[in-house]
This record gives sequence, structure tokens and C-alpha cells, in this order.
Amino acid sequence: MAGNRLFTIAQKEFFDHVKCRKFLLIFGILLVVAIVGMIGGITEYNKNLDSYNQHQSTIASPLSSYMAEKPSILSVFSSVATYLMFVGGILGIAMGFDLVSKEKESKSLKILLSHPVYRDEVINGKALGGIAALAGALFIVLFIALATLLIYGIVPDGNELILITVFATVSFLLIFSYFAIALFMSTAMDESGSALIYTIIIFIVLSVLVPTLGSTTVTELVIGNPPELPRELIDQMQHSANASEGSGITVTFASKGNNGAWDEFGEKMQAYSEKRQMVYSTLALFSPTMNYDAITSAVTQQYSSRATVIGSRASTTTSAAFSVGTSGDVRLEDLLYPIIASMIALLLFPTVFFGLAYMRFMRLDVR
Amino acid sequence: MAFSRASQKAGTIPARSTNMIQLEHLSKEYNGVRAVNDLTVEIPDGEIFGLLGPNGSGKSTAILMLVGLIEPTSGRCLINGLDVARDPITVKQQIGYMPEDVGFYPTLSAKENLTYFGKLYGMDTRTCIKRCNELLPLVGLDGVIKDIGGYSKGMRQRLGLAKALLNDPSVIILDEPTANLDPQGVADYRTIIRNVAREGKTVVVSSHILEEVSKVSTSIGILSAGTLVAQGSWKDLARDHSIHASSHVTIHVETQDPMPEFHHPDLIHIDYERDRHGAVLVTRSDLRDDIADYLAQNGVRLRGLFREERSLEETFLSYYQVAG
Repeated sequence: MAGNRLFTIAQKEFFDHVKCRKFLLIFGILLVVAIVGMIGGITEYNKNLDSYNQHQSTIASPLSSYMAEKPSILSVFSSVATYLMFVGGILGIAMGFDLVSKEKESKSLKILLSHPVYRDEVINGKALGGIAALAGALFIVLFIALATLLIYGIVPDGNELILITVFATVSFLLIFSYFAIALFMSTAMDESGSALIYTIIIFIVLSVLVPTLGSTTVTELVIGNPPELPRELIDQMQHSANASEGSGITVTFASKGNNGAWDEFGEKMQAYSEKRQMVYSTLALFSPTMNYDAITSAVTQQYSSRATVIGSRASTTTSAAFSVGTSGDVRLEDLLYPIIASMIALLLFPTVFFGLAYMRFMRLDVR
Repeated sequence: MAFSRASQKAGTIPARSTNMIQLEHLSKEYNGVRAVNDLTVEIPDGEIFGLLGPNGSGKSTAILMLVGLIEPTSGRCLINGLDVARDPITVKQQIGYMPEDVGFYPTLSAKENLTYFGKLYGMDTRTCIKRCNELLPLVGLDGVIKDIGGYSKGMRQRLGLAKALLNDPSVIILDEPTANLDPQGVADYRTIIRNVAREGKTVVVSSHILEEVSKVSTSIGILSAGTLVAQGSWKDLARDHSIHASSHVTIHVETQDPMPEFHHPDLIHIDYERDRHGAVLVTRSDLRDDIADYLAQNGVRLRGLFREERSLEETFLSYYQVAG
């Protein structure tokens, strides 16, 4: 009976979402940007693949050792992730901000709660209906993304499919995070307008302000500038450069005589990087967007700076170097291990906000 | 305060009590202000009980506690012997509630709304549709196919009444049920309420419209500033109050011949018309018989003699004033 009530509420919420014009509109935009992102990603992937093949054929080239890595199919999803960070967040907010406040405004909440139904069934049903609609939307996006890959003749292998699933899961968690924040605001506010405004403020703080604080410039203000290269080493590098002038390639920075100075500098740099990483990781715990960025960057194996309005990404977060499908010695666990903290943080966000929404709803005085 | 499953006490439904509804020392405080103060009411089975009171007297707050939407600061509500706060689900299965500002899902039709609520009562789709087909014609909404978003306030209120009857409840609680209804809607509402009362259901009607409550209810309770100031049948309350609250009687006299000077120890004041064919007497007791005898003794032909009665509104307004 209790399950029936929960299912009845969830079912109504699901159909309310999928019939809602705003959901369809944002979902349409999400689909378009996903397809555009996929096509862009595929074009880039093909270019990188050509370049890789070309370098593979020029064995004698001194650069061949640097370009030996075959581009990953997952890189195709990189630009999709960029779009999802924004459009997905907005979709989550759009679906959650008026879930409860709309019922307060239309006075249907009073009628609903006068029925033999527990409050937890109402809030859980609403969340379930929303989750189902979000999952459905994301599944369609993913399905179309995979279809686009196949149309272009790119067939992912088993490991790549697992990573695509990880990508889809974290994308869902990102959208669900903002959905949970919006749901909480919807229970806390009496009007949908106020709930939307406050959710947008939180969205901006978490997706723009916090990543900005994690950017190199702001981090350097907190922990200081990186250690400078000792003068002797600079002189040595200049000397090496002069010596190799004309060849066009400078590959050697160290000489045997200065190993101690290099080691000392390396240690300082290492300590500085660790400090910076700690600041970034701490900040990332408070931003689903940063966690999502860190995970998807690792999964899609993109190390180049992504042009994004969301904020600059710390290069060190995605230091888990891996290669899928090219070398068999890198295990999937090794690839995912460095991003476990981000995954937990991303999972924690919707949990915390849904918990807050739950508590608020249970204590709501319906007048 | 939390409306959780934890507060639900497992158990069977106790035997039906004589008093279908009991409010025991019920109080509700909002930010230090008592909206309802130590309210104790007993409503017998099969009664149509009118809860009267001016705006802000605590009627709706009392109703909200009765249907389990807000938790009392102190005291308790019992419906059919069950504590509303402890057995909310069992209690809600037995009641039909229509709030003052009745709200539905605007993107759904009347049938879809009722079907949804019916499912929350554990009804299957077939039963829901059957009940819709019975109730919508009853409230005059048969054949209306548009979504609730396009309904007038009156139509929503009619649907609210249908919703309150959906689960065939033993207790029907209506908060300001006729506030937005047209005259036909009001007539329909009265017929429906009388019919359900004939079936032995207990009905609670909360309203500030005296006439509305007086037309349907068999007994009333008067709330003022969150406190119950009177309870009983209409006649009892009107009589009691006229006995206790009024110390003066106003009598109007009309005669065909000029009337003589009138003297009586209970006479407080008298105003004669210029031609002395009429007078208004304010007295300490009802002197109509004395006046008739006196006029007859003096050969004055009487045209009319009546006592000024207090209107229903005046009577009940004085209850509020006494409480205030």
C-alpha cells in the first residue's frame, strides 16, 4: 500500500515533468548541444587520429616518442561535458525549483497532505519522479551520442563503454545535484520565484565563484607564488640553448654537475604543487561543477585547457595519465582511483541537499 | 514537530465512539501568539456541526489540526477514537476534507485530479472512475472537459466538495464551503450536505457566514479569539444569549386612537409619535400584555403591538463581543 502511494506520486511527477514545456525545451537544447558537441569531438578525434597515424609512420622523427599515444574515443565526449555542465545544471534547476513551492502556491499541497499519505512518501515520490525523468532524458542523450559515434564509424570497446557509463553516471549526478539544491529551495521558500532566484545564486556560486577561487591566480594569492628557478640553473639553460642554436630542438636542461640544485628545485615544486592541489581539492568538495570537471577530464583524457566560461581548471587534478585501448598494462581501476574523492563528493552533494529538503518538508506547517 | 511514520502507532481501529470528533484542550501557538486556545469540543456521530467565528478567530487553524496538517502545540484531536497525530493514515482514510482555498493540479482535468487522489486512498482506477461518474454530476461538473487551470473559483469549490466525498468518508470537514459559490452552487451544496447527514455521516462546517451555517447545521460552536465561547443548538444559544446578554426590551405600539400617558415601574423610556398613534417603549421586562390591557381599559383600539427581536447576526455578534 505504502509502495503504491509512493509509486502513484512518483508516476504523476514523472508525467508532469515529461509533459512540461520547460522540461521539453531544455531537454531539446541539451540534445542539440550534445549532438553538436559529439560532432565537434569526432572531428577533433579524427584529426588527432590522422596525426597519430602520420607520426607512427615517421619512425625516424625525434618527436615520435612524444606523440606515440593513440587518441581516446572518450575525448569525443569532452565538449559534451562542457555543455552538460551548464545546460544539465539548468535542466536540474528547472525541474526542481517549483516542485513543492508550486504546490504551496496552488494550494494543492494542503489537499495532497490531507490524504492518507506520509510526508516522506510525498517528498520521495517527487524526487523519484524527477530522477526518473532526468535519467530518461540523459539516457536518450547518451543513446543519441553513441549512435552518432557509430554513424561516424567509431566503435568503442569494452573499457571505453565502461568509461562512457562512468561519464553518463557522473553527468547524471551533476544534474541531480542541482535538482536536489532546487528541491531544497522549493521546500524552504513559499514562492517559486524566490526558490528559483536563490537556486540560481547557489548555482553561480558553485559553478563560477568556487572554481574561480580554485584558479591559479587566486590560489597563488593564498599559498604564494611558485618557487623560482635558481639563477645558476637559468644560466645553465641559457648556455645549453646557445650551444644548440641552429638545431631547433632543445631537449636537455640538466647537466651532471648541477643535479643537487635540480633536485632541490624539484622538491620545492613538488611541495608547492601538493599545496596547490590540496587547496583545489578542498574547494572542489564544495562545487559539483569542479568535481564533475575533474572526473570528466580524467575520463575523457583531455589535458588541454578547455575554453569554458565556468572557470579555469587546475591542471594537476587530472594527473591520472591513462590510455585506453592502446596499452594493456593500464588497468581501469588505476584510471578511476584518482577521481574517487571527486566521485564521492559529487554523490554527497545531492544526498546532503535532498536530506535537507526532506527534513524541511517533514516539518512544514501547511497553512 | 515532525509528520513522520515514527509517530504512527501500530494497532487496530478501536470501537466506534459515541462522539465522532473530540477536541481535547487543543491549543496552537504561532510565534508566541495563540491562534487556538484550550479548545475542547465534542461532536456526536451523525451531527452537522457548524464552527462559527469572525475572521482570525482560529477556525481554520482548528480544522487544520483536526485533519492532521498542523500539529497542536498542546492537546489532541480524536476522530472516531483515533488520535489524529498518532494515527494520521487511519484517520485520513476516514475523513473527507475541503479547505477554504481549495487547490488542484491545474494541468489535469477534474477526473484526472480525482483519480489521482482516489489512488492515494488505495482505490483502483476502475473504482476511481466510477466515483468520478457519481460525484461530478452531483456537484454540477459533469461534462466539463477542460483542465482545472481553466476553472473558476466556484467550479474549483464544487470540485472540492466532490473530492471531500470521494472516499465515502464517515467524517466530512468543510472549511468555508460556500465562499465562492453562486446561488445554485449554494443550493446544491446544502442538498448534498443534508443528504450525507441522512446517511449518518458527521459533518463539520467552518464558516464566518452565519446564514450558511444556520441553514445546514444541527449544532454550533462559536469561536472568538481562539477560544470557544458557546456551544449548543441554534435555539438554545439564541435563547440563552437573549436571556443573559440583554437587560432591555423594546416594544413598538400602534393604535387607531390617540393613546393615553403610560406608566409602569418597569418602564425605562417611552417615545410617543406627535399624533400619539404610535410609541416605542424601552422596558425592563416584556410588558406587552400590560400595554394591551391598559389600552383596552381606556377604549383605545390597538393596531399593532410587537417586541423588537434581535437579528441572528446581532445575537451572535454579541457573543463575539462578550468574548472580546
